[in-house]
Amino acid sequence: MVPMNQVLLISFLLFSIGVAGVLIRRNALIILMCVELMLNAANLNLIAFARHSGTVAGQAFALMIMGLAAAEVAIGLALVVALYRKKDTVQVDGINLLKG
Amino acid sequence: MILETAAMSATTQISWLWLIPFLPAFGALINGVRGLICKARGYQAPSPKSVDIIALGSMGIAFLLTVVAFAKLFTLDPSARSLSQNLWTWFDLGGAKVFGGLTQTRINWAYKFDALSACMTLLVTGVGFLIHLFSTGYMAEERHDGRYYRFMTYLNLFVFSMLNLVLGANIMMMFLGWEGVGLCSYLLIGFYFDLNSAAIAGKKAFVTNRIGDFGFMLGFFLLFMLYGTLDFDTFMGMTRHLLAQPHITVFGITHAPTWWFNLIGCCLFVGACGKSAQIPLYVWLPDAMAGPTPVSALIHAATMVTSGLYMITRLNFVYVNAPVALSVVLFVGALTALVAASMGLAQYDIKKVLAYSTVSQLGFMFMGMGAGAFTAGMFHVFTHAFFKAALFLGSGSVIMACHHEQDMRNMGGLRKKMPWTYASMGIATLAIAGIFPFSGFFSKDEILWKVFEGWYTEGHTLNLIAWVMGMIGAFMTAFYMTRLMVMTFFGEYRGAGHDPYHLCKPVEDHHHDAHAAHGHDDPADHDSVHGHEPHEVPWNMWVPVAILALLALVGGFLNIPHSLHWIGGAHFSEWIGPLLYQKAAVHAHHGGAPAIEYVLMFWATFIWAPGAMVLAWWIYKVDPSWSKAKAFVTRFPNLFRWVHNKYYVDEFYEAAIIGPCKQLGAQLWAFDAWAVDGCVNGAARLTLVVSHISFWFDAKIVDGLVNLVAWILQAFSGLFRRLQSGRVQHYAFVMFLGFLVFALWKFLA
Amino acid sequence: MEQLEYLFSTLLTKHVFMLFGTLAVLGAGAMIFSKNAVHSVIGFLLAMLSIAGAYLCLRAEFLAMAQILVYAGGIVVLFLFVVMLVEMTKYKERKIFQTQTPLALVVVLISAVTFLGVFLKTIFGKSAEAALTLKPELTADGFNAATHNVQAVSRGLFAEYLLPFEILSVILLVALVGAVVLAKSERG
Repeated sequence: MVPMNQVLLISFLLFSIGVAGVLIRRNALIILMCVELMLNAANLNLIAFARHSGTVAGQAFALMIMGLAAAEVAIGLALVVALYRKKDTVQVDGINLLKG
Repeated sequence: MILETAAMSATTQISWLWLIPFLPAFGALINGVRGLICKARGYQAPSPKSVDIIALGSMGIAFLLTVVAFAKLFTLDPSARSLSQNLWTWFDLGGAKVFGGLTQTRINWAYKFDALSACMTLLVTGVGFLIHLFSTGYMAEERHDGRYYRFMTYLNLFVFSMLNLVLGANIMMMFLGWEGVGLCSYLLIGFYFDLNSAAIAGKKAFVTNRIGDFGFMLGFFLLFMLYGTLDFDTFMGMTRHLLAQPHITVFGITHAPTWWFNLIGCCLFVGACGKSAQIPLYVWLPDAMAGPTPVSALIHAATMVTSGLYMITRLNFVYVNAPVALSVVLFVGALTALVAASMGLAQYDIKKVLAYSTVSQLGFMFMGMGAGAFTAGMFHVFTHAFFKAALFLGSGSVIMACHHEQDMRNMGGLRKKMPWTYASMGIATLAIAGIFPFSGFFSKDEILWKVFEGWYTEGHTLNLIAWVMGMIGAFMTAFYMTRLMVMTFFGEYRGAGHDPYHLCKPVEDHHHDAHAAHGHDDPADHDSVHGHEPHEVPWNMWVPVAILALLALVGGFLNIPHSLHWIGGAHFSEWIGPLLYQKAAVHAHHGGAPAIEYVLMFWATFIWAPGAMVLAWWIYKVDPSWSKAKAFVTRFPNLFRWVHNKYYVDEFYEAAIIGPCKQLGAQLWAFDAWAVDGCVNGAARLTLVVSHISFWFDAKIVDGLVNLVAWILQAFSGLFRRLQSGRVQHYAFVMFLGFLVFALWKFLA
Repeated sequence: MEQLEYLFSTLLTKHVFMLFGTLAVLGAGAMIFSKNAVHSVIGFLLAMLSIAGAYLCLRAEFLAMAQILVYAGGIVVLFLFVVMLVEMTKYKERKIFQTQTPLALVVVLISAVTFLGVFLKTIFGKSAEAALTLKPELTADGFNAATHNVQAVSRGLFAEYLLPFEILSVILLVALVGAVVLAKSERG
């Protein structure tokens, strides 16, 4: 029997760390990983509430998210590779061609 | 109350009456337009022959029409002896407020051919035609330098204006002609406008005329206020009614009718003074001799200067009832006759002598009018027209023959060389002197008798004074005319350098008249100017003079006075008679004339005038060196100087009147230049200041606002540009911040 | 079955969940704070595995396995491939933190504290204690028909949520194509 508040606390912490990582790190790959972390935190939340309410919708939804996260990682990494080919770096500091 | 518009009598309508004045008008128009077009296109001028045909043709046809109309008048009854034609309505003055109430008058462009205007029209067209014919010869030089068409145009225009004057059926038509002849006089006097003297003379004539016209206008304005109309027929019909009023109030002033008529008469006479050259407005006539001689003959002898007399005769109903005005007319006329005749004694220019003679004879005519003898005065108009025109044209022939020489001292001995001209001028001189049976005797002596009768029968002292002045004037007239004839035609010709008595004008160069060019027209003479021998002029010049002299010879028989009734009848008086306003009490015809009349007649024509002629003959012919005249001049140098310089009247006018007027004009101009231009400049400066202010406003404030907007935009855009760092992490951060704000707001709200 | 029940009720209690949770947090922390990229990936792996364990504690076995398969087996490997492709293994990065790091940390801290405050009030508060408890028994409707979690999940997926499932496969196809296109070299 896992108390709900613990689950939510853990998921919140993970989400915060993910947000902090996105905002802190220079490396694009690390940023992508932190995005994955955020998605996982959301998943955890979903499953907790699915367990709480007794339906399976939450779990199905979490599965969808997992698949989506996989697709997104694929695209994102393709982008990073393309970026690396162009700029020879994956530091997001150097990518400021859209600077207005 | 609308006053009755009573017409004098029945009148016959003629449909072709308008042709008489308008044919010369068309001639003027055609000639003038052709001339202008030729000048504009650069041709020399219309051919003189074509100009002649149009000008003389129109005059001739007008004369023939006049004769036809005159013949028609004969067939009419004396009380209905009038042809008229109403062309169109010129002014419609319905509702004007006059003495009797509101008038309903219409001023029409209408012509009236009655007894008086018929005679005047015959005179104008007939004498006009002769003078046109004369001009074809006299203006021979101008025929070839492109100015001829102008002369003929002006002459025709003058005839048109004069015919309007005499044929007009109302005072407005007369005034139209009045001004028109003034204008044409100016144009013709200043014909040689490149000569300063001619231009100034023309201006003088016009301005002096205008001063007279002012009086004339006042006169007929008052007439309009009294009668409510300007129609001659209505005047005659309504005068009795007006005279029956005890008082007449116009413009708030109330007086007896006679007082008003006196005022009107005096005002109208001022106009007559200007037009007919009486004292004090005669000064333009001698200077008008700067124009060509035909002009002097036509305008300043025969027609224009007689318009004042025509006006008085036309408006005799005013004068008959205005004794004070008549006295003024009488006195001024007599004084002018005397003074002008005295001036003519000391002139050397042939045309100047004739000019002063004209002024003097006009004085005689006014004397006759002033004495109440309207028909005598008018008859002298006609006889004077004949002999004066003959004299002027003859002098024109003489001037032409002597090669533009006008000074009589340089002439002489032309009797054998120009016989026709000599004979014509001789007849005219006898006429003007008043020798029986030439026409001048019948007219001038009738006037003098009527003036005398005014004193003799009715006891007016003024008439006696006037008669004395007139007699002295007649003496002087005979004297200076004989002097003119002797100096010009008798003795030896002094112009060829043959001057044994040193009588020539003591100036080296040849005296010119107003002819600007000095070309030789006659192919016969190629001599030098000094050696040229004068000879008779061509037919188109001596024939008109001869015709006029013939008329001067026989014309007198048209109006034999009653005292000589066995010679003939007073046709002219009877002809004009019905037009005169008859006062209620007409003094009855004497059974026979008083004896004093015959005495005076005999004295004047057999002793007085021949005596003057003998005196002149004795001074100037008997002694070819004119020693008696020279002795007189040496003995009385100041007197001679004063008379020769026309009593310095012109100088007096210049100093007393014209000078101050010019000064006033100069001061007004200075004020205008200072004040008006100052206002304009001030406005300009004000505009500059205002424009500076608005420029500052526009540059600083308006542009400042615009720049402010741009600066704000730039500042904000600079601010917002920093958001576009191009870096993903910044975008992520901002997104998170936005989410945070939203979440917090939702949570905490 | 009873063993599973026993297992779930006695062994996998909240303490174990807290252990897995702590491991996950630690792994996440290692991920964002380590200088070496590979270390970050390892940290990431640890976090994924820990979360899988957490799923197990919550009695969602299918998802736990899916998590391990997809994330730890696929995504982490992908990341490792890319890390090796961009040659980050050779050197350590000089600067790992962005310039906005202090500000970002402050903001995150503020938000964390705020949310924690909210938590304390609504979740950890006395009034919410009874409601915030995961039901241990399979008494809900969806779970009654199935004795195992996999059964329940499959029933939900292929019966109720078939359309999202199919669309997900389309998305995966699109992602596949997109990844190929994006990562193509320019010479082709």
